[in-house]
Formats: sequence, C-alpha cells, structure tokens
Amino acid sequence: MRYLKTSEAAALLNVSPNTLRAWERRFGFPKPQRSPGKHRLFTHGEVAALRDALQEGLSISSAVSRAREGLAADSNSLVGALVSYEGERADGAIEAALALRSVERSVEEVLLPTLDEIYRRYGGDSAAWAFAAHWGANWLRRAQRLAPPPVRPVSIVIGDASRDELDTDAPHIRALELFCVRAGMKVLSLSARGVSGIGDAVAIHQPNIVVLAGGHLADDTVARWAYAVRLAAGAMPVAVYRRGDQRVRMRTTGTSMLPSGASDAQRRLLELIDAEQDAARIAVASARAHRDASSGGGQRASM
Amino acid sequence: MIEARSNTRRGLLAVVPDTVPDDSPRVSFCSHCGIRPAFADISSRVCDSCGMGLILQSHADVAPAAGDPFLVLDGSLSVCAVSAAAENLLATCETDAVNRHVTELLVAADAEAQGAANLAVAVTWAARGDGGARRVVVRPTNTFGVRLKTRIASCGPPTAALVVFD
Repeated sequence: MRYLKTSEAAALLNVSPNTLRAWERRFGFPKPQRSPGKHRLFTHGEVAALRDALQEGLSISSAVSRAREGLAADSNSLVGALVSYEGERADGAIEAALALRSVERSVEEVLLPTLDEIYRRYGGDSAAWAFAAHWGANWLRRAQRLAPPPVRPVSIVIGDASRDELDTDAPHIRALELFCVRAGMKVLSLSARGVSGIGDAVAIHQPNIVVLAGGHLADDTVARWAYAVRLAAGAMPVAVYRRGDQRVRMRTTGTSMLPSGASDAQRRLLELIDAEQDAARIAVASARAHRDASSGGGQRASM
Repeated sequence: MIEARSNTRRGLLAVVPDTVPDDSPRVSFCSHCGIRPAFADISSRVCDSCGMGLILQSHADVAPAAGDPFLVLDGSLSVCAVSAAAENLLATCETDAVNRHVTELLVAADAEAQGAANLAVAVTWAARGDGGARRVVVRPTNTFGVRLKTRIASCGPPTAALVVFD
C-alpha cells in the first residue's frame, strides 16, 4: 500500500493542497487517513483513480463519482466470488482492494458491505451466507494474526454476545478486534456465555475497558458476565457495541454506546480510555498534592 | 464506370457543412463558477479560481458568464455538472444532482413542444455535438408557475450539452 502526503497527492492531481482539502470537505473524496502526527495520508490508488477520472469528466462531482464506481468494482467482484463459492477468487478480490486502500478501509468499504449484501440478498439460512461468513471470519482472523504486536499500554476485553459465526454482528465484532489490534491495543475476546474462571482471565489481562459486543445473547446472560468481570477487576468503564435496540436502557447506566462502524468504534474506544487515564492521572496528582500540602502543613505546625 | 454510377441514381455519402454556421470562437469556462480563465493551462483542467470545477469549452455566444446558472448534461440526459449559481436557483447540490436524470431537476414548460423546442431533443442534439444554440423554456420539476428560459448548446470535452439559464 502506497500512501501520499497532501502535497504529493496535490502534485499528482495538478492542484493546490488547499484545493485538495476543499474537495475532501465538499465531496468526501479522496478520503485520507491520518498519520500518528495527524497529517493526511492519501492512498495512491484513490488519487490515481481520481486523476484518470478528471481527464474524462465534465465536473469534479462526476469525476469523483466515476472514481468511486471504479473502486466499488472490488466489492462487486468479491460478492461474485463468494456467491460462486470460490474462496481463492475472493482472496484475490480482497487483495485487489488492499492494493488501493488500507486494511481498515478495505474491511469497512469492501469486506463488511459485501457480507451485508450477501446476507440481505440470500438470507441468514442460505449456503451462500454460510460460506461468506466463514470466509470473512477466517480472513479477519488471519489479518489479526498478521498485525504487529501491541505497542500501547492499553488493554480491552470484548465480551462476544453474538450467536455464532453466522450472526450478522460477528464479522463486525471481528473487524473491531482487528482494528483495535492494529491500533496497538491488547485485545482479549471471550464469549459472554463463559462466566466460570473469568476472574483469572481478567487478572492476567488487566483491561482498561470492557466491551459488550453483539445483540444475540439475552440481557441477563450479558449482565452476569459483566458482573463477573467487574467483581474480578473492580469498577471499570463498559462500552456496548452493536447491541441492538438497547440504546435507551444503556444511556441510564453510564455505559458508553460505541458507533456501529468498526473504525469509528475503535476511535471512540481510544477516546474513552484516554479520558479514563487522564482522570486517573489527575486523581493521582491531586492526591499527591493534597498529601504534600498536609505533610507540609504538619511540618510547619511542628516547627 | 461513370455511366454505371449515374445509372444507379443513388446519392453518394459526402461530408457536408453543418446547417448552422459555426464561426463563433470557442471560449473556456469553469463548470462550477463559470469564470473564463485568462489563459488556457493545458496541464490542468481544474479551475484556478474556485478549484471546484473543470474547464470546459463552448462557443462564445452560448458560453455562460461568471456567476451564470447552468447545467451540463450528457447524451443520456444525466446531470454531469451544476454550477454554483444553478445550485442556488434549483435549490440543489451538485453532489446530489450528478448522475440523476435531468427530469428530476427540470421539465419542459411546454410538454408537447416538438423538434428543437423540446428539451430532450435539444439536449440530445447538443450532447451529440451538433452546432448552434437552441432555446427552450423549462420549469423546475418541483415548482409550478415558474418559467426559465434556457439556451442549449454543445460543450466539452467530452462532448456534452450545456444548458444556460438566461
């Protein structure tokens, strides 16, 4: 995957960097990622597709539309491969998508929409969905194994409340795991059915936040699992991901709702953890200041 | 041989001049703001002034002036460009309007007009590259009681129909 800085992408398109940023605001394309220093990084494939489309276009909008259509071809070819039960061709289609996009965007813009489309078109009890869901789960796990080791001092435990591999939430939960791992977090994913021995797992993993993901398991089962985790690790923030229509109820318990998109959810998780760590640092600093003040006061009193 | 040709009495294919004189000079304009660039920069088609449009060409007598409302349509009557002024006039946004059929934005005021006065015919001819401008009265699809005079002519590249609101 080749990335371009704003100035490089602007030079390739023969426009100014300001124009490129204006296009991003107005058309949402090309859509950059951010470097660790928050600078824009454009994928070469998108910029090249737009450059070619501009040569043949009548307006920027129509050129953007044409460039997007070209990139959407990856999704169509993946659908075609999966409904034909051709795993190798599906691997090739996602590889083609990866040539133009990052892993995160390939998953969000090609893999997950493809799986959703197959579920919508053929239904959850179809062989096509069974094959596609299995292939998607395998691919996401393989990508997770290839991710670099964790670099952040951040750890999360995911309580998987999806039914099984055929649950429509399952690929999205795997995608969230993958994005968190790729963002440098330590991730432990467990079924929310398994309560026995959860204390040991939590004691070893020391999570900063617990995520309840998936909408299949009943509230009681999920609550029992969350209670067991809190009992073992103490009070800690809990976030909920793709847990259906429980938005209203969760709002009253102080639990954070994560956005349904995996990359948005991963960013929100990092924000929650950062806020929690900041609060902890402030609490420690104020406790230290209070202790110093009281010990200083004691010394003055003794003098 | 010559006798045989004369005996067939069939017309021979030949290049004939356009029925409409094409002596008007061509000018460049931005597909978004309508500004005519001072000099043609062949290295980039993007408008230097606004950065939001591509530079197109049309005959000087039909090309829009800066700030004029206009649309660009292709041969299948799909919207390809909406100028900034046309966005205000038609209460739409180019990003929403592009690739939609023109009838979702405009319809002919006289639905029974024939020939060049018919919106679809005029656009199709212009998008085919036929010379000359045609005048058609239209109305916004979602608004009654409003009449808008337009001039429709060819523009490009690639060849398309330019609909300028007078």
